[in-house]
Amino acid sequence: MTAADGMRHTLEDLLARTADRDRRAFAELYRRTCARLFGVCLRMLREREESEEVLQEVFTTVWQRAASFEPARAGALTWLIALTRNKAIDRLRQRRERVLDDPIDLERLPDERLEPATEVESSQNYARLANCLEQLEARQRRSVREAFFSGATYKQLAERCQVPLPTMKSWIRRGLMQLRSCLES
Amino acid sequence: MNTPLRDDDPELRYAEYVLGVLDADARAAVEREMQESDAAAATVAAWHRRLLPLAAEIADREPPMRLWQRIRTELRFDPRDRQPPGFWENVRVWHWLSLGAGAIAVACILALVLIVRQPSAPSVTYMASTLAQQNGNVGWTATMDISNARIIVVPAAPQGLATGRAPELWLIPKGEKPIAVGMIAADAPITLPLGPALLARVGPTAVLAVSVEPPGGSPTGQPTGAVIATGTIASAGSLATSIS
Repeated sequence: MTAADGMRHTLEDLLARTADRDRRAFAELYRRTCARLFGVCLRMLREREESEEVLQEVFTTVWQRAASFEPARAGALTWLIALTRNKAIDRLRQRRERVLDDPIDLERLPDERLEPATEVESSQNYARLANCLEQLEARQRRSVREAFFSGATYKQLAERCQVPLPTMKSWIRRGLMQLRSCLES
Repeated sequence: MNTPLRDDDPELRYAEYVLGVLDADARAAVEREMQESDAAAATVAAWHRRLLPLAAEIADREPPMRLWQRIRTELRFDPRDRQPPGFWENVRVWHWLSLGAGAIAVACILALVLIVRQPSAPSVTYMASTLAQQNGNVGWTATMDISNARIIVVPAAPQGLATGRAPELWLIPKGEKPIAVGMIAADAPITLPLGPALLARVGPTAVLAVSVEPPGGSPTGQPTGAVIATGTIASAGSLATSIS
């Protein structure tokens, strides 16, 4: 913690000022979010060099397109994570026929549940989501989680979990629809 | 729970897009729809709000220092092609500062800090270093702005850089290996972020050093070329109580 935390600007402020070409705000935004977003890149891509390239792409896009951030639709951190995941997923789709992963046994996949260390609002949202995830049937929950963290396609997930493609689709789709109704109840 | 499965739910594709399970073509189709239809974009945004909190489980990982420099370079933030410079980046201010390198520079920096300091800051801590070369001349001066986690490195009249080579700044904590701070310049002031690992080690027992590296920085993560300047780090004080 640095002394400057006492007068933190919100990420939304920093993003708005970045849209106005404020380089200091942009640098501060980088400093405050780079570790979070780099973690997301590494988790999905699992290669350091590629993760660095994607993170660089993310922040150059942020500088160029910060004006397209609409605070009414999502918080700044959500926007940044969405941008990062999109770029990481695009990168994953460009990988050709690489043998990606070891098979997964969904019966044994652990349900991690960590205490998120991020800002208060996002930890409340996390708690609600985690609660709804827990209400899903185990295979649905694990496939949704695995899909989220790996960025793999239905086809890749089905292969890795050694189940037929329609089965994987059905688990994930049921999971998503149930999550929606749970989160909106 | 017994929600019926509805494969035809129009929202499903948007949810699948956000989750990340669609192939490249299907992703591109959703992205086109988002551009053309506000309703599609709003539905995707709603799924972002629903699912992205799960990213809280992913551990933070500090990217390497030089990534910020790479971003600055890509965006042409380099002082040579910038438009109106900000105060800290103003070349003339820094050039003037480095003429009085050493103790005088520290005093000047403190004076400037007082001018630009934001009044609500609870405390402001600075450290400074004069990076001397073997001939005794000052190569660079560095100011570590601890509160804002950054270091500002200003060239005086550095020598010993071959063409096609670039100066890289390192922090060497006592008894530890050098840690890359980032690429600096021989002809322009550079501001670099100080990550937690560096912030934790900046102090009077650590040393700053400049080595000669390929333009993108040392390929190994450790200095590979000659060390052309070094300097100890002195506290330039905390201004918390003196000016509030």
